[in-house]
Amino acid sequence: MEIYLPIAQMSVQWPVILGLGFVVGLLSGVFGVGGGFLLTPLLIFYGIPPGVAVATTANQIAGVTFSGVLTHWKRRSVDFKMGAVMVASGLIGSATGVWLFAVLRRMGQAEFTVSASYVLLLGWVGVIMLNESVRTWRARQKGISASGKRSGQHNWIHGLPLKMRFRQSRLYISVIPPVVLGFIVGILSAVLGVGGAFVSVPAMIYILRMPTNVVVGTSMFQVLFVTASTTMLHAADNYTVDTLLALILILGGVVGVQYGVRIGAKLRGEQLRFLMALVVLVVALGLFWQLVVTPADIYSLTGATP
Amino acid sequence: MRALILALLLLAAPAFAEETLSSGLSQDYLQITSTFTGSELTVFGAVENPSASGTRDIVVVVRGPDTLMTIRRKDHIAGLWINNARAKIWLPSYYFITASRPLSAIADADTLGRYELGLNNLRTDTVASDGDPKPYADALKRSQKRAGLYIQTDAGVDMQSATLFRVHVPIPAAVPRGSYNVEVYLFRDGDVTAAQSTPFYVDQAGFERRVFEFAHTSPLAYGLFTVLMAVALGWASTFFFRART
Repeated sequence: MEIYLPIAQMSVQWPVILGLGFVVGLLSGVFGVGGGFLLTPLLIFYGIPPGVAVATTANQIAGVTFSGVLTHWKRRSVDFKMGAVMVASGLIGSATGVWLFAVLRRMGQAEFTVSASYVLLLGWVGVIMLNESVRTWRARQKGISASGKRSGQHNWIHGLPLKMRFRQSRLYISVIPPVVLGFIVGILSAVLGVGGAFVSVPAMIYILRMPTNVVVGTSMFQVLFVTASTTMLHAADNYTVDTLLALILILGGVVGVQYGVRIGAKLRGEQLRFLMALVVLVVALGLFWQLVVTPADIYSLTGATP
Repeated sequence: MRALILALLLLAAPAFAEETLSSGLSQDYLQITSTFTGSELTVFGAVENPSASGTRDIVVVVRGPDTLMTIRRKDHIAGLWINNARAKIWLPSYYFITASRPLSAIADADTLGRYELGLNNLRTDTVASDGDPKPYADALKRSQKRAGLYIQTDAGVDMQSATLFRVHVPIPAAVPRGSYNVEVYLFRDGDVTAAQSTPFYVDQAGFERRVFEFAHTSPLAYGLFTVLMAVALGWASTFFFRART
């Protein structure tokens, strides 16, 4: 049941990889996220070189996201103008990220940067989600609405110049925040092998104040283009995209997503977010533990060139 | 240097030794295909014109292509383990050695060192190093041993008769591609009296090779192909699942 991966140059148990793809697809179907933040660390745990794990996961996300974008397009829940602005800066961010990754790899710090960034990001997102879901849960039990949304209220975002009208989102705001957000998500995608939805979705809701019905579709639209460009840039600069690994992951992933969506439809929003927060925090703790615990061998082989 | 000694020896061997060596391999080309999970190479041979007196020993070495390896040391900084120092060292990517008896019983340390026989006698050319290169080289050997790429066993030479011998060389799944060398040494009373060197190639084959070459010769097209494959699969899955529900 083993198969040799041509780019990772190692043989793996393909049922394990297929299972990983399925489980991550299932979670992403249930929670409506790309799942890259789980897949990259899991592949690294399994022994896939970090460079290959990051680049190949970006490709897997592009594949799994495509059908989602089509669905949202049909429902007209994509703000193409906002999406285009974020894609444009996202492509620059992704190119910057791929370059940054190559520099970190030469310095021998790629693995540490990836792990440490995951600990910080996942820890932060996990705590926020846990807090929010528990509050909503309690509020529902008491029978009061926990909606603290102050829509229409102005914040510092409205003081910025270069305003642009986004008809689909019914917004008239400066292009600076979406450009910066797109850029950050592009870097995250290239360095961490994630779509970045766990950063962009909350930012679009709470900072840009976009209507929630277009947030997911627009985020997916941006993720599709940014992960596609990340994959191509990693392939061109670092030769780290493994087609065979991607193929197995996607086959598991697309099936997992379909089942995940069905399970997700049966659970309530705050329950979903509570479970998701737990998953996120467990991954963060696992990665943190690896940075803190004394390694079995403090020396490690990090590169070989003939 | 080592190659030169070996070459001179090969030329000179018949002149001063009455005993000669002939050896062969079970295969001279190893293909890594998609189902490759490691393999085994058999080295076999015979001592010709054997003489009755003295102690005769056989040493078999398989060396992979030399590789510039980067090894890093983690230090405990602010409670975290972070790569903090590194060394770059030339070492073979694969090394296997076995003999008819423990190496130390066959020849003295000088002789073993001259032919780089044994893991401890491998020459390490250090290109760059933060501090003493020795601990890095030792760690590298440890790491290669764990990966099954450095193997040293005593008495792995299977003597089928007084002059016929056979050695099984394990090749792990992670074996690097390139040109290998199989060296067979004949020792008499602690000195090398004959040696033979045979090349052996490891390369990817079939589908694996085409993918690897595609990724390295036209990386942008390869990236585009991979993205399109992912998107097509994602799209196809929606039709498949719609048809079922």
